[in-house]
Amino acid sequence: MHELTWGLPVILYLFLAGLGAGAVTVSGSVLLRKGGFGSSRFAIARCGALIGPLPVMLGTFLIVFELGQPFRALNLFKLINLSPMNIGSWLLGAFIFLSLLYALTFLPPSAGPGDRLRGVRRALAWICVPVGISVAIYTGIMLGAMPARPFWNSPILAGLFLLSALSTGVASIILAGVFFRRNHRDPAVRDDYDNSSYLLTASDALLIGGELIIIFLFLMFAQLTIGDVRYAVNVILPGGNLAPAFWGLVIVIGLVIPLVVEIVLIVPKLLYGRRFVSIPAIEVAIPTAIIIGGFALRYIIVVAGQITAPAAL
Amino acid sequence: MTGSRKKSADRENQRTSRRNFLKAAGGSAVAATVAAVAVPSLATDDESGQQADKKQYGMVIDVRKCIGCHSCSVACKAEFDVPLGATRSWVEYTDKGTYPNVSRNFLPRLCNHCRHAPCVDVCPTGATYKRKQDGIVVVDAGLCIGCKYCIQACPYDARFLNPLTGVVDKCDFCIHRVSKGLEPSCVNSCVGGARIFGDISDPESEISRVMATNPVTVLRPGMGTEPNVYYIGADHSDEHENKRGWYDVRVTTHRKEKDRR
Ligand code: SF4
Ligand code: SF4
Repeated sequence: MHELTWGLPVILYLFLAGLGAGAVTVSGSVLLRKGGFGSSRFAIARCGALIGPLPVMLGTFLIVFELGQPFRALNLFKLINLSPMNIGSWLLGAFIFLSLLYALTFLPPSAGPGDRLRGVRRALAWICVPVGISVAIYTGIMLGAMPARPFWNSPILAGLFLLSALSTGVASIILAGVFFRRNHRDPAVRDDYDNSSYLLTASDALLIGGELIIIFLFLMFAQLTIGDVRYAVNVILPGGNLAPAFWGLVIVIGLVIPLVVEIVLIVPKLLYGRRFVSIPAIEVAIPTAIIIGGFALRYIIVVAGQITAPAAL
Repeated sequence: MTGSRKKSADRENQRTSRRNFLKAAGGSAVAATVAAVAVPSLATDDESGQQADKKQYGMVIDVRKCIGCHSCSVACKAEFDVPLGATRSWVEYTDKGTYPNVSRNFLPRLCNHCRHAPCVDVCPTGATYKRKQDGIVVVDAGLCIGCKYCIQACPYDARFLNPLTGVVDKCDFCIHRVSKGLEPSCVNSCVGGARIFGDISDPESEISRVMATNPVTVLRPGMGTEPNVYYIGADHSDEHENKRGWYDVRVTTHRKEKDRR
């Protein structure tokens, strides 16, 4: 097996940047939408906004020190070219700056839906959503840009990374909600908790469904291709080195189980208009599974791309 | 000859063919002058509008003459003080078949100085670039941050992170020798005379004559990189073929990375 050129720091970066960008994107979209979340809209937006920047900055720290010359990292900003890593660095820099400002608007004790920072906060949310989506997407483009890496060389990888980023972002918001919002001092937040929980769970189910469709398309088309990609995809198909981790951690634990549980939870309200009841144990277990799955997805994709190669010399 | 020929530089070098040059009527100085005036307006895809004669250095390796002695690898190591375990230039052995139907072929490897070099496309700092004047793909060691993106992108595994400098390194066709009119060190040391180095864009050069009169191949042509290192008589067999279970293929190198990528 070839030595991994990009190892754990890069894998962690892809995962953490996705999760953070996803959390901020979800936060911004929840803040900007009109209806649905009621009075908990602000609380959810606050969760996502405060979670977001930290993992992104941690991930960035990790990749900078993965460089052969960490102290030259600023060379990335000496020019703009079409390298996905160059564009991604600009996006990442902008995202860290903007998402920190956005998070700051939630920090004052007086922060609330109608405070005087409202305008700034909404303006920042408008910028953070597209920049967050771009950060989540570019990581997939960066891996996908190389014919020399047939496993990665597909436009669908960027879509998968985006959905996984949003899904792990929602998961982290649900998880934070259990600890910080469920027993909130403000009765309004508590009252709306179940309703907002329902909306988050339903959105997450949609994202996971999307991920499964993308993975299906990826596997299907790899199978129907003759040559490099088909050979490369064998590492995650039954019999491949990474198959147990892929099917066990990514598909079953990270996607199928959460999707089934979430569907069971939302169906009574979705189809029969019954009350949605949130169960704390599930609200901890399912997001945790999704986050584990999200990390496993990055891990397996990054490793699979590097242990496979074009088939013909 | 070269003076009378003006080549339109392929700024859109992704698209236009290298052979897509404008040829002025050969011979007279008048024709050359006319061409020099006329060409810039025609060659709209030239970046600078300047019409310098563009070289493309390249190499032909006649594998039939290679005896697998690693002189080239050793010369390269010495030339650049390449750290242990890393190689700018190396030789692979391809063993095929089962006794008595067996063969061993050698495959000297180096950076292909690709026309469409993926390493250049992905480099985020501009440290890796293809020199306009001679088509050599180089790494600016003062700019490279060691992100290793180019290592991922090269389909030929020609690059490595130099542990001593923290930046990426690879074959540069011995620019320091070539610019003084010498041959690259591996060519100079090749005991079989298997390597021919020169300007591929000059049809009169030895390398162009050899390429025109022999069947030549490049490695991984399907990648679309259009390498400038050509082989005569190379065995393109790879270990992937073992899946068919017909005859055995084994590739060995003395590199730290034992597997061909
Ligand atoms: S062989 Fe690799 S390093 Fe050399 S020019 Fe081609 S892609 Fe770049
Ligand atoms: S390692 Fe250096 S040469 Fe390679 S892509 Fe990164 S900055 Fe460019």
